[in-house]
Amino acid sequence: MSAEGQAVDVCAFWVGDAVYGIDVARVDEILPRVVPLPVADAPPHVEGVVHVHGTAVPIVDLRRLLPPGNPPRTAKPKVILARIGRRRLGLRVDGMAGVRRYTEAEIRPGGAEPGVLGVTTDECRLLDLRGLLASRSAERAGGL
Amino acid sequence: MKAAISSIEELLARFRYRSDEETTGLVELPASPVEPERVPGAEELQLLIFGLDGSEYAVALAAVTEILRARALTEIPRARPPLLGVLNLRGTITPVYDPSLRLGVASTVRVCAGPDCERPPRPARILVVRTGLGPAGLWVDRVRGVQRVRPGALERPRSGPTGGVVGILQTAEGTCTVVDPEWLLR
Repeated sequence: MSAEGQAVDVCAFWVGDAVYGIDVARVDEILPRVVPLPVADAPPHVEGVVHVHGTAVPIVDLRRLLPPGNPPRTAKPKVILARIGRRRLGLRVDGMAGVRRYTEAEIRPGGAEPGVLGVTTDECRLLDLRGLLASRSAERAGGL
Repeated sequence: MKAAISSIEELLARFRYRSDEETTGLVELPASPVEPERVPGAEELQLLIFGLDGSEYAVALAAVTEILRARALTEIPRARPPLLGVLNLRGTITPVYDPSLRLGVASTVRVCAGPDCERPPRPARILVVRTGLGPAGLWVDRVRGVQRVRPGALERPRSGPTGGVVGILQTAEGTCTVVDPEWLLR
């Protein structure tokens, strides 16, 4: 599958003072303003649920899962409707940084932060969304 | 967390989206299937009601993927009247059509693209509908909202163009013509 120079399309966004990216194929929509309905006993990073086209979608605040920092002043907070497998969730981010295309040569595997699979040459951190959320779930399950 | 990623293949395998990804570890996320499940007895029709030149029309909500604020379009040289122009919808070139010509409520073609284009009125919207050939836009004067109706509540049209008219709906505000969105694009 990994042909030389295979390109990866990344939906890039700001969380704190860093740019992160997820596979653009995961992204359904970008919502500008969302007021989630709080859910009782939800972990701190789950803000609540919103109804999107008749489906309840949980909203996860990525700002609580990733290192804090000050995003650029021009960034506008958004919610990215993304998919993990057959589930859909909203990711609250500090701002969008566009869709970027990287070749394999531009990606350096490994990253010091949890949930980061690799870093691109322009410092976009590629997120393992499922791993990031599953690790939090495991911590929570262990703490209960 | 798993061990650090060392190869690009492993990275891409975990980074890329697959519909059959494992989600069992995500205990805190309420189950939310990508496709909404059908609720028993919910065979009712959801209609998106929009206004065109003082009259109200509706299309099936299921056919509409999104509603955009009307904006200046990109001109297509020698485009024929129902086609107003195109817009770039997140990388997909989407043609936008004027349904009022097909419905016979307007005699003049509105100018929504090119140098003579005026600023679109505030309530004007573009309904992006799903078609066999990809997404297409319908320029409407305003969107009123969604109404749920039983299919039996639609009356059969008595006169006028009937090709794409699905039925007539009596609402509190008056009558509303329910049309087939694909027919509006032809």
